[in-house]
Amino acid sequence: MKQAKNTDKKPTVIKVDKNLDKYLNKGLFKEKIDKANEVLKTVGLPKFSK
Amino acid sequence: MKIDKYPVIIGETSMVFEFISQGIHGSIPKLVIYSKTHLHNFYNLGFGDKDETTRQIDDEVVTNNGDSEKVLATVASTLYILSTNFRMQWFLQTGSTKARTRLYRIGISNNLSEIEEDVEVYGLVGDKWQPFQKQTEFDGFLVLKKKSNFTT
Repeated sequence: MKQAKNTDKKPTVIKVDKNLDKYLNKGLFKEKIDKANEVLKTVGLPKFSK
Repeated sequence: MKIDKYPVIIGETSMVFEFISQGIHGSIPKLVIYSKTHLHNFYNLGFGDKDETTRQIDDEVVTNNGDSEKVLATVASTLYILSTNFRMQWFLQTGSTKARTRLYRIGISNNLSEIEEDVEVYGLVGDKWQPFQKQTEFDGFLVLKKKSNFTT
Protein backbone atom coordinates (compact mmCIF):
# COMPACT_ATOMS: atom_id res chain seq x y z
CA MET A 1 0.00 0.00 0.00
CA LYS A 2 1.36 3.40 -0.90
CA GLN A 3 2.15 5.62 2.05
CA ALA A 4 0.40 8.98 2.33
CA LYS A 5 2.61 12.01 1.80
CA ASN A 6 3.82 13.74 4.92
CA THR A 7 4.38 17.43 4.27
CA ASP A 8 4.10 18.43 7.93
CA LYS A 9 7.16 19.94 9.54
CA LYS A 10 7.52 17.00 11.91
CA PRO A 11 8.15 13.48 10.61
CA THR A 12 5.79 10.62 11.34
CA VAL A 13 7.23 8.55 14.19
CA ILE A 14 6.44 4.89 13.61
CA LYS A 15 8.27 3.44 16.58
CA VAL A 16 10.41 4.27 19.61
CA ASP A 17 13.39 1.95 19.78
CA LYS A 18 15.78 2.32 22.68
CA ASN A 19 18.35 0.23 20.82
CA LEU A 20 19.03 3.23 18.62
CA ASP A 21 20.46 5.10 21.60
CA LYS A 22 23.47 2.80 21.67
CA TYR A 23 24.82 4.83 18.76
CA LEU A 24 25.28 7.75 21.11
CA ASN A 25 28.04 5.88 22.93
CA LYS A 26 29.92 4.67 19.90
CA GLY A 27 31.98 7.78 19.33
CA LEU A 28 30.43 8.28 15.90
CA PHE A 29 31.18 11.46 13.96
CA LYS A 30 33.98 12.20 16.43
CA GLU A 31 35.92 14.15 13.83
CA LYS A 32 32.90 16.34 13.08
CA ILE A 33 32.13 16.92 16.72
CA ASP A 34 35.76 17.82 17.39
CA LYS A 35 35.61 20.21 14.46
CA ALA A 36 32.37 21.73 15.74
CA ASN A 37 33.91 22.23 19.18
CA GLU A 38 36.97 23.80 17.60
CA VAL A 39 34.82 26.20 15.56
CA LEU A 40 32.80 27.14 18.62
CA LYS A 41 36.00 27.76 20.54
CA THR A 42 37.89 29.73 17.91
CA VAL A 43 35.13 31.43 15.91
CA GLY A 44 32.48 31.65 18.61
CA LEU A 45 28.87 32.34 17.77
CA PRO A 46 27.37 34.80 15.32
CA LYS A 47 25.68 37.95 16.50
CA PHE A 48 22.12 36.81 16.47
CA SER A 49 19.37 39.11 15.43
CA LYS A 50 17.27 37.95 18.42
CA MET B 1 8.49 21.97 4.57
CA LYS B 2 6.18 21.00 1.79
CA ILE B 3 8.43 18.17 0.70
CA ASP B 4 7.40 14.63 1.54
CA LYS B 5 9.33 12.95 4.34
CA TYR B 6 10.09 9.40 5.33
CA PRO B 7 8.60 8.06 8.58
CA VAL B 8 11.20 7.68 11.31
CA ILE B 9 12.07 5.39 14.19
CA ILE B 10 13.28 7.35 17.17
CA GLY B 11 15.49 6.43 20.10
CA GLU B 12 14.23 6.95 23.66
CA THR B 13 16.62 9.86 24.06
CA SER B 14 15.12 11.63 21.01
CA MET B 15 18.68 12.14 19.83
CA VAL B 16 18.91 9.26 17.36
CA PHE B 17 16.62 8.70 14.36
CA GLU B 18 16.48 6.03 11.71
CA PHE B 19 14.61 6.01 8.44
CA ILE B 20 14.72 4.09 5.19
CA SER B 21 15.57 5.83 1.94
CA GLN B 22 13.67 4.18 -0.90
CA GLY B 23 14.91 4.90 -4.38
CA ILE B 24 16.49 3.61 -7.53
CA HIS B 25 19.10 1.60 -5.61
CA GLY B 26 16.59 0.05 -3.26
CA SER B 27 16.07 0.52 0.48
CA ILE B 28 18.94 2.17 2.34
CA PRO B 29 18.79 2.69 6.12
CA LYS B 30 19.87 6.15 7.28
CA LEU B 31 20.75 7.38 10.73
CA VAL B 32 20.58 10.90 12.13
CA ILE B 33 22.47 11.47 15.38
CA TYR B 34 22.53 14.64 17.45
CA SER B 35 25.66 14.79 19.59
CA LYS B 36 26.33 17.16 22.44
CA THR B 37 29.10 19.70 22.01
CA HIS B 38 31.02 21.57 24.68
CA LEU B 39 28.36 24.28 24.61
CA HIS B 40 25.16 23.70 26.57
CA ASN B 41 22.10 23.18 24.34
CA PHE B 42 24.29 23.11 21.28
CA TYR B 43 24.26 19.92 19.23
CA ASN B 44 26.11 18.64 16.23
CA LEU B 45 24.07 16.90 13.58
CA GLY B 46 25.60 13.74 12.10
CA PHE B 47 23.91 11.82 9.34
CA GLY B 48 24.85 8.90 7.14
CA ASP B 49 24.08 5.45 5.81
CA LYS B 50 23.78 2.60 8.28
CA ASP B 51 25.71 -0.53 7.40
CA GLU B 52 23.45 -3.36 8.57
CA THR B 53 26.40 -5.77 8.70
CA THR B 54 28.96 -3.75 10.62
CA ARG B 55 26.43 -1.49 12.43
CA GLN B 56 28.69 1.40 11.50
CA ILE B 57 27.67 4.68 9.88
CA ASP B 58 29.15 5.93 6.65
CA ASP B 59 28.75 9.67 6.35
CA GLU B 60 30.88 9.99 3.24
CA VAL B 61 29.05 7.60 0.96
CA VAL B 62 27.27 9.05 -2.07
CA THR B 63 24.14 6.96 -2.35
CA ASN B 64 22.54 8.59 -5.37
CA ASN B 65 19.27 6.91 -4.55
CA GLY B 66 17.34 9.58 -6.40
CA ASP B 67 15.58 10.90 -3.31
CA SER B 68 18.05 13.40 -1.84
CA GLU B 69 15.41 16.10 -1.46
CA LYS B 70 13.15 13.80 0.56
CA VAL B 71 16.12 12.52 2.59
CA LEU B 72 17.25 16.06 3.47
CA ALA B 73 13.69 17.07 4.34
CA THR B 74 13.46 14.07 6.67
CA VAL B 75 16.77 14.93 8.33
CA ALA B 76 15.65 18.53 8.80
CA SER B 77 12.30 17.43 10.22
CA THR B 78 14.00 15.55 13.06
CA LEU B 79 15.10 18.93 14.38
CA TYR B 80 11.48 19.67 15.29
CA ILE B 81 11.27 16.57 17.46
CA LEU B 82 14.62 17.19 19.11
CA SER B 83 13.73 20.78 19.74
CA THR B 84 10.37 19.89 21.25
CA ASN B 85 11.91 17.43 23.67
CA PHE B 86 14.90 19.51 24.68
CA ARG B 87 15.55 23.12 25.35
CA MET B 88 17.77 22.93 22.37
CA GLN B 89 18.41 26.20 20.70
CA TRP B 90 21.20 25.54 18.29
CA PHE B 91 22.71 22.98 16.11
CA LEU B 92 25.65 22.97 13.84
CA GLN B 93 26.36 20.83 10.87
CA THR B 94 29.35 20.47 8.69
CA GLY B 95 29.45 18.16 5.72
CA SER B 96 31.82 15.23 5.96
CA THR B 97 32.93 16.13 2.45
CA LYS B 98 32.69 19.25 0.33
CA ALA B 99 30.09 17.49 -1.80
CA ARG B 100 27.94 16.81 1.22
CA THR B 101 28.32 20.35 2.52
CA ARG B 102 27.18 21.52 -0.91
CA LEU B 103 24.22 19.16 -0.70
CA TYR B 104 23.26 20.67 2.65
CA ARG B 105 23.54 24.15 1.16
CA ILE B 106 21.26 23.22 -1.74
CA GLY B 107 18.78 21.62 0.65
CA ILE B 108 18.67 24.75 2.79
CA SER B 109 18.48 27.02 -0.27
CA ASN B 110 15.55 25.12 -1.75
CA ASN B 111 13.53 25.51 1.43
CA LEU B 112 14.91 28.74 2.81
CA SER B 113 11.70 30.73 3.04
CA GLU B 114 9.97 27.98 4.98
CA ILE B 115 12.99 27.17 7.12
CA GLU B 116 13.31 30.81 8.12
CA GLU B 117 9.81 30.77 9.56
CA ASP B 118 11.24 28.79 12.45
CA VAL B 119 14.98 29.27 12.58
CA GLU B 120 17.80 31.60 11.72
CA VAL B 121 20.49 30.04 9.57
CA TYR B 122 24.11 31.10 9.50
CA GLY B 123 26.97 29.89 7.36
CA LEU B 124 30.64 29.69 8.19
CA VAL B 125 33.03 31.34 5.78
CA GLY B 126 36.62 31.05 6.89
CA ASP B 127 36.53 32.17 10.50
CA LYS B 128 33.32 34.17 10.37
CA TRP B 129 29.63 33.42 10.62
CA GLN B 130 27.33 35.24 8.25
CA PRO B 131 23.61 35.04 7.53
CA PHE B 132 22.88 32.24 5.07
CA GLN B 133 22.82 33.26 1.43
CA LYS B 134 21.83 30.94 -1.37
CA GLN B 135 24.79 31.52 -3.64
CA THR B 136 27.55 31.46 -1.03
CA GLU B 137 29.75 28.42 -0.41
CA PHE B 138 29.95 27.67 3.30
CA ASP B 139 32.14 25.43 5.41
CA GLY B 140 29.39 24.70 7.91
CA PHE B 141 26.00 25.84 9.11
CA LEU B 142 24.59 26.97 12.39
CA VAL B 143 20.90 27.09 13.16
CA LEU B 144 19.21 29.06 15.88
CA LYS B 145 15.61 28.32 16.63
CA LYS B 146 13.18 31.16 16.96
CA LYS B 147 11.63 30.26 20.27
CA SER B 148 8.24 31.78 19.65
CA ASN B 149 7.73 29.88 16.40
CA PHE B 150 8.99 26.49 17.42
CA THR B 151 6.42 24.91 19.63
CA THR B 152 4.38 22.93 17.11
